[in-house]
Order: sequence, then structure tokens, then C-alpha cells
Amino acid sequence: MLGRGVKRKWSCLEEAEVVSEARQLVLGLCLEKLQRYQAGVELSLRRSVLLINTLRQIQEEMRSDGVGSCDVHPDSCLLRDDFREDVTVTCPGCSEGESPPELPSQEANGSDQQKPPAAVSDAVNAMGYLGDLALDDIFEDIDTSMYETSDLPSAWASGSLPQSHSTAGSLQSCLMDLNELDHIMEILVVETHLVGPGLQNGFSL
Amino acid sequence: MQNIFKWNLPQIYTAGSLIHQQTDIISTVEFNHTGELLATGDKGGRVVIFQQEPESKNQPQCRGEYNVYSTFQSHEPEFDYLKSLEIEEKINKIRWLPQKNAAQFLLSTNDKTIKLWKISERDKRPEGYNLKEEDGRYRDPNTVTTLRVPIFRPMDLMVEASPRRVFANAHTYHINSIAVNSDYETYLSADDLRINLWHLEITDRSFNIVDIKPANMEELTEVITAAEFHPNQCNTFVYSSSKGTIRMCDMRASALCDKHAKMFEEPEDPNNRSFFSEIISSISDVKFSHSGRYMMTRDYLSVKIWDLNMETRPVETYQVHEYLRSKLCSLYENDCIFDKFECCWNGNDSVVMTGSYNNFFRMFDRGYRQDVTLEASRENSKPRSVLKPRKVSTGGKRKKDEISVDSLDFNKKILHTAWHPLDNIIAVATTNNLYIFQEKLN
Repeated sequence: MLGRGVKRKWSCLEEAEVVSEARQLVLGLCLEKLQRYQAGVELSLRRSVLLINTLRQIQEEMRSDGVGSCDVHPDSCLLRDDFREDVTVTCPGCSEGESPPELPSQEANGSDQQKPPAAVSDAVNAMGYLGDLALDDIFEDIDTSMYETSDLPSAWASGSLPQSHSTAGSLQSCLMDLNELDHIMEILVVETHLVGPGLQNGFSL
Repeated sequence: MQNIFKWNLPQIYTAGSLIHQQTDIISTVEFNHTGELLATGDKGGRVVIFQQEPESKNQPQCRGEYNVYSTFQSHEPEFDYLKSLEIEEKINKIRWLPQKNAAQFLLSTNDKTIKLWKISERDKRPEGYNLKEEDGRYRDPNTVTTLRVPIFRPMDLMVEASPRRVFANAHTYHINSIAVNSDYETYLSADDLRINLWHLEITDRSFNIVDIKPANMEELTEVITAAEFHPNQCNTFVYSSSKGTIRMCDMRASALCDKHAKMFEEPEDPNNRSFFSEIISSISDVKFSHSGRYMMTRDYLSVKIWDLNMETRPVETYQVHEYLRSKLCSLYENDCIFDKFECCWNGNDSVVMTGSYNNFFRMFDRGYRQDVTLEASRENSKPRSVLKPRKVSTGGKRKKDEISVDSLDFNKKILHTAWHPLDNIIAVATTNNLYIFQEKLN
């Protein structure tokens, strides 16, 4: 016969599991929505901001609950300008060559494979506000209101990103593509800085 | 129940283009200052203006019907070549200017450009020119032997709309609000991150009065969702945010109003905390009362009335559809949680109205502490009968005539409603139909 103490322990575990599952579900939905877009139509900034804030909140909760073996802190990544060079797609806790983690919404057993926060922060930043970067400083003296991007850089919005579906494989390849674009973006920004404002008009990715 | 909740005489108009036989989605509804004119904007960039017929002597109990007065194409789709993105022609907001002469003026805006339109009537035309025939052809001067004075003759009423000003290239982000100042000389336009002040006569310049764009866009966590001028203090305006705050600014304090004079925010209820707390706290509309003493905000689940003298919490809170709180995850999944509902006051600020799903709309009587749910649908709108109040059942037992939460149609949403400034006449927009209801007078 089970003692009272054991019963309570089980219900606590169950509750934690339910919360964790709910968290994984919402996390998966967040990522899916951030990646979903319509080519040629600008994303709503309000929607993107709300999604990313929800994502950050979940990350925060997951971290404070001690979930996941990753040491990388997404928030510090976001604040560093050069984060794209340092942060890898998978976190140090997950070894190279392993199969990509399953998307939480697909599987019920999210406990083994945790979404690496680093990948999340990559997705967050790639889908977010990168278009604005250092251009503001370079072109301070020039009226750049026509050139300011609002959401995604034009090339991304025009369809160079693959349409995402709820599969881990495409999420991973999506993130890899985003990483490549990150690098290209970096090179272009550096080039602009070196060559000067005149090159701005000739850009196309 | 008092009379305010007895509505009938529905007129139903379907938005869209008669020429192309397409229905369209209504995106904004606005009465003018006298209530004689009602403007709607749609996703296709069209503006349709309805005019109230004068009350007929035969039926003194009946206020005049609204008939189509003018239709015009306000905005066209544009392509931003630099960003490879299409700029939608959808009309986000229409705001009327008070009438100063025979013509009517309104401001209409899409995501990027605001236009001032002049709507004027022509019911006379000149006839009897000396050098022109009636059909416009020029006469041979040699055939002119006598001189006559051209005179004006009545003709069929023609309503013309012409764009008088185009206010462009001032917004990087999507315009969500325009508001005319009580000085009737200036107006503001707000996008996700900035608010600009314009003079109605000047199109090549605007002043930036609010800028919440962070230096590093990665730090962006909050956007502007709506903005409005105070109805009689021309130096005061408010703007709401996606985090559920409202900031009131005084333009006399400084040129850039980044520092607010007042900030209205209700502390979060810890019992209702969820993953979606922030999303549902995002304010979708803010409206001052006609008196200027209060303002109303609409977030996803409720309508809140704030006393401008108290920033710590609203003085009244009305639950629009609390039964959706347990469905937030599904609503997040199908994106409905991002729907932006508007709200409005009646003429004397005693009743507020807002829309919901399943073509339901809600009214809250502040004085009598009563509320009602009504439905805008063809089946329920028989010309002589009064609108029947609706009820959503939340518990297990569903009473007759009640509808269960799971049967609600979330594709049928009423986002835009408007109340006549002086009378009890309301305009309610379903996806592509406009319903005009009048209060039943006994």
C-alpha cells in the first residue's frame, strides 16, 4: 500500500510533466510561427515581437527550471554584436554528428531531446530585426528613411528561405540556411563599411 | 432591460466591387461628426460612404436609412522595389474632418501613405456657352452672331471624391492609427515604432514626436499599437503598446515626447498568468470618451475604462469573452489570439461596444451595469423584429438557444464597430458585410 508521501510525489511529477509538455508545445508553435511567412508580404512587427517575447519567456522558464544541458545563454548571445561567429547551431551539450533534435510538437516525449537554446536564439535573430544592424551608423548623415528595413531583409522575404513545415529536418536545414545568410549579411555589412555608401543601391542577395 | 438594448431595422451592405463582382473584407468603419455620413474602408483599398436619408414625415419614429453616397478607390497596391515587398492597399483607418464648408473631408490611410480626400456634391451645371456646343465641341467662331450669358441648370446629383493631399514616405513601419487633433489643423499618424505629427496643409514634412525604436533592434520588446488625440486638449495624446501599457504625452513638454507624462498600466493578476499573458494584454484599440475624462482600451479578452487621473488601474473592466481564457492555446495555434478588436463609445459615454467571434458583438451599459451579446447575421436580422440577445454556455449543461464555446466560428469575427455620435445607430462590420442597426423606438 502506497504511503501518502509517495502519492503526493507522483502528482507533483505529473504536474511538472504536464507543464513541461505544454511548454514544449508552445515553444514548437512559437518557432513554427516565426518561420512561417508569406513571400512578398511584410511580416507584422507586432506579431513577431509578441512571438519572440513568448519564446524568451519560455526559454527563461526552462532555464530557471534547470531543464536542458546547454550552458549557452541565449540572451547574452542576443546582446553581443558578434554572436553569429561564436554560437554554433547546436549547443555544447549536444555532440556533433547526432541527429537533429525532434520538434517538441511532433513527439510526446520531449524530455530526452531538448531544443538547444542556441538554435532558438539563431532562429530568433535571423527572423528578427537583423536588417537594421550597423547601417544606421554608417549612413547617419544621409537620409536613409527609404532604405530602412522593417522586418526581414528583402532577400529573405522574397523567398530564398525554404517554406517550413513541422519537421525537424526542415527546421534544421532552415537554421543552417539562416546561418549561411547570417555570414553573407556580415560580409556585406563589412564590405559596405569599407567601400562606402555608394554601393548600397547595387546590392542584391 | 432598458431600450438601449433593443435594436432592429438592419440594413446590410456587402463590401466589394460591383464591377469585378468580388466581395472584400471591411477593414475600418467610421461615422462623421454629425453622424450623417458613414465611411467604410476595405482590403481592396476602396472607400464607400453612406449617407443618412432625412427623416421622412410619414414615419417620424424611424430615423433615416443609410444609402450609398460615394465610392472611390483610395489606395492602390504598390511595390517597394528596394525591399521586394508589396505594400497592401488595405485601408487601415479613416478619420473624418469636421465640416467647414459645403465639401466633406476625410483622411484615409494604408500601411504607408495617408491621403486627404475631398468629397463634394455637384447638382448644377452651366449651360449656354457661347463658344461651345452642349456636348463640348467648339463652335466655329464665325457662326456666333449673338452673345448670351451661360446659366446654371440643375442636374442629377453627382458626388465626386478627389485626393487633395498625399502624405507619404514618413513611415518605415506599418501605420496602425491616424488621429485628428482638436485644433483641426494637425493630425498624428502612428506606426509600430514611431508617431508623426502632420499639418493638414503640408505634405512634404512631418514632425516625429514619439520614437521607441531601440538603437539595437535586437532589444525590441514592445511596439506601438494605437494612438489618439485628446478630444479637447490639443496638446495631449495617448498611445498604447503591445505590453498592455498606455502612455499619455504632453506636446508642450518637449519636441520629442519619448518621456510620457502619465503611464497607465494594471498590474498582472498572478492567478491568470500563462504563456500567453503578454499576448492577451496587448492593447488593440484606445479611444477617449467624448467628454475627455476617460479612455477605453481593448485587449484580447476585455475592455477597460480608465480615469485619466488614475494611472494605477482601470476604474471599470468588462469581460468580453472570458470563456476563451481556457482556449488560449488553440487560439494561439490558429492565430486568432493576434486579432485586433476595436471598441467604441456611444454619444453620451454611457455605453461601450466591441466585437467578438461568431459574428457576436457586445455592449456594456456603464450606468445600469448591464451587458448584452448580439449577433450580426442575415438569419437573425428580420426587418421588424428586435435583435435577440445571445448567450454562450460555458458549463456542461447547455440551455436551449445557447451556443457552446466549441461551436463558435472563429472565422466570423467582428473587429470593427462604430456608434453614431448623437443617436442610437450602430454600424457593425462582419468580414465582408456592414450591418447598420437602429434603436427600436416604441
